Amino acid sequence: MKRSAVLVVCLAVLFSVVFAAEPIKIGAVSPLGDITGKESTRAMQLAVKEINDAGGVLGRPLQLIIMDDEMKPASGAAAIDKLATVDKVDFFVGGMGSGVHLAEIPALKKYQKVTVWIGAADHNCENAVGADADWYFHLHPWDYQQGEGYGIAWTEIAKAYNIKIEKVFLAYEEGAFGTGSYTSYVDFFNQAKKGQGSWAAVMKQFVGASFKSASLGGGDYRAILNQAKSFNPDLFVWAGYDADAVPIVAQAKEVNFTPKLFVGAPPGWPANYGKNPLAENVILYGMWSPTLSDVSPAAKHFFDAYVKMYGEEPTGYFAPLGYINIYFLAEGIKKAGSLDKNAVIKALEKVEFKDTALGEPLKITPSKVVKHQGFKYQKILQWQNGKQQVIWPLDLATAKLVYPFSFKK
Amino acid sequence: MNAKPFHLNRTLLILIILLVVIAIWKPVALIYGFQRGGLYALIALPLALILGIIGILNLGHGDFLTLAMYIGYLLFENLKIDPLLSMVPLFFIFLALGMGIYMITIKYVLKSGELNQLILTFGISMVIIQMAELIWTTRPRNLYVSYASSSVSFLDFSVGTYEFLYPALAIGVLIALRLFLKKTKLGQAATAVGQNPRGAEIVGIDTNRVYFTVFSISIGILGIAAGVMLPRTSIFPLTGSPYTLKSFALVAMAGLGDLNGILIGGITLGIAEAVIQSIPGYGGWSDLVFFGVLLAVILTRAYRRSES
Repeated sequence: MKRSAVLVVCLAVLFSVVFAAEPIKIGAVSPLGDITGKESTRAMQLAVKEINDAGGVLGRPLQLIIMDDEMKPASGAAAIDKLATVDKVDFFVGGMGSGVHLAEIPALKKYQKVTVWIGAADHNCENAVGADADWYFHLHPWDYQQGEGYGIAWTEIAKAYNIKIEKVFLAYEEGAFGTGSYTSYVDFFNQAKKGQGSWAAVMKQFVGASFKSASLGGGDYRAILNQAKSFNPDLFVWAGYDADAVPIVAQAKEVNFTPKLFVGAPPGWPANYGKNPLAENVILYGMWSPTLSDVSPAAKHFFDAYVKMYGEEPTGYFAPLGYINIYFLAEGIKKAGSLDKNAVIKALEKVEFKDTALGEPLKITPSKVVKHQGFKYQKILQWQNGKQQVIWPLDLATAKLVYPFSFKK
Repeated sequence: MNAKPFHLNRTLLILIILLVVIAIWKPVALIYGFQRGGLYALIALPLALILGIIGILNLGHGDFLTLAMYIGYLLFENLKIDPLLSMVPLFFIFLALGMGIYMITIKYVLKSGELNQLILTFGISMVIIQMAELIWTTRPRNLYVSYASSSVSFLDFSVGTYEFLYPALAIGVLIALRLFLKKTKLGQAATAVGQNPRGAEIVGIDTNRVYFTVFSISIGILGIAAGVMLPRTSIFPLTGSPYTLKSFALVAMAGLGDLNGILIGGITLGIAEAVIQSIPGYGGWSDLVFFGVLLAVILTRAYRRSES
């Protein structure tokens, strides 16, 4: 009898150990051939390693299964199907492009697993997800939130530095990305004319003009820069791609166009942009900079750990977003105490980080359509001596704004 | 026969009047167009040479340019060779590359159908693009030399001086090619092969040697174009691809074998583009105008032929 009891206990312990060791499967979908996807998944692996080294979640290790969406909508949707049916993952994470995400959303809706997404800024994705998808958490700001944030930022900067911002010129690439930006600015301008919206105080006049991006066979911006020069804007913003970043500023120098604020808003920047003397004092929109390590312990921890693990610095904000992606989900599972879907959703709604790898707090609030939105605004950064310094939010500023913009002699 | 000089004079007259009007209306656009058109001509000249003499449709034309830019970038980053000086080593590196590509691939499809040639050169294009993505990723690279954004000011305008190198080099390459084709035995043989390859073979010209030399020189010239473009261009795996289509368009506009026409056509299209870009709100129409002018020229030529 005693022997049987010991045997039963031993089997029970063995069973519980085996059961406990079964990993929690997280399916990640990202464009691995692109720097954003490469870095975000690297950061996810870093977070998984840290969590597992510290004992995992609910006594179980996290297992990250990564799929490449190849920046193709069909591949993204197929990746979701494969992760759900073959790998049988418990959760979905990842993301980058909006176009790919639009194709993934029907597949995500089919499985309705808890999803924490860090990509896709296009509000059409939010509409496609819909208000009923309580399993969907979106961390990256939506496009309209970003635009609203810039208005708030420039208003606060104008006040803090006592500078005048009234005339805004937008040079936008003629594809979907650029025209989308232009449409948003036109909406903000129409609101500002009525004294409404976040741009009301800093957009008395607005002009937009399109150019052909170097990425699509263009690369001659001189005509548009001359148009901007005639307008003499207080704030010059160009919305194009990384391939436009250096030539547009080189040609601005050539035509002697020096707006007081020279802002670039591409989704990514070229390699070693900061080392180029032409980059000095150029302002950019983004969510993260290595200099955040000076003001945020969480950002410093992430940066140091990433560099230690991979031997190189992350180049963009998708790396810290990927890191937060995993920690946010892990915290929700921990708080829920199980993998039960409703319990995890309730727990994630309550997760609150006072500091994150992006140097700012994270709390879930509703956006226009979805119930669970994470970050709302981007930051305003400025290249100073080869480093991206944070100018706004003012409480996170790592340097003072260099104003007005001028070319380095 | 008598109609030709009349047409030529009329065309020239219209062109001169147009240039004068543009010079008064949009002087800066005229300069930009001249500069940009020079670049189009510089890149299209080697394609015209390949098409006119070998008759092969090289879909990898712009991708060889991309590869040359990456090599130029490496020469600058690692050996500190100024991009303008790098034109010399780039010419020889790509001359050798052209020789290799010809021996390994092109040689074997010369007598097969055009579809095979297209598939082969498309394959070469894909190999270059994918290789560039694997080695250098899709992130653009740029190099900085202060003289590339230098400018001169007149009246209210500030005009960049660097891009005057594009038409200057295009003219230089054109003169060199014409001298090669007219004054050297190999060049004369190439002209003969271009006009009648079978006849040239019958009279004892080694057509394979001609094709080999012409193809290699053409790829070598892309090395020169890459060197001069480096300081002003973002380098990424698809940098050169759009120039393939533009170069084909220019060759179609100028007519097979007409190297002078490439220069004139390039500058005409460059000016047309620049004028449209300078009109506020119509910048997006530049491609339409580019190909509109191209179509107009081809149709006019066809009409004249049918008349004569």
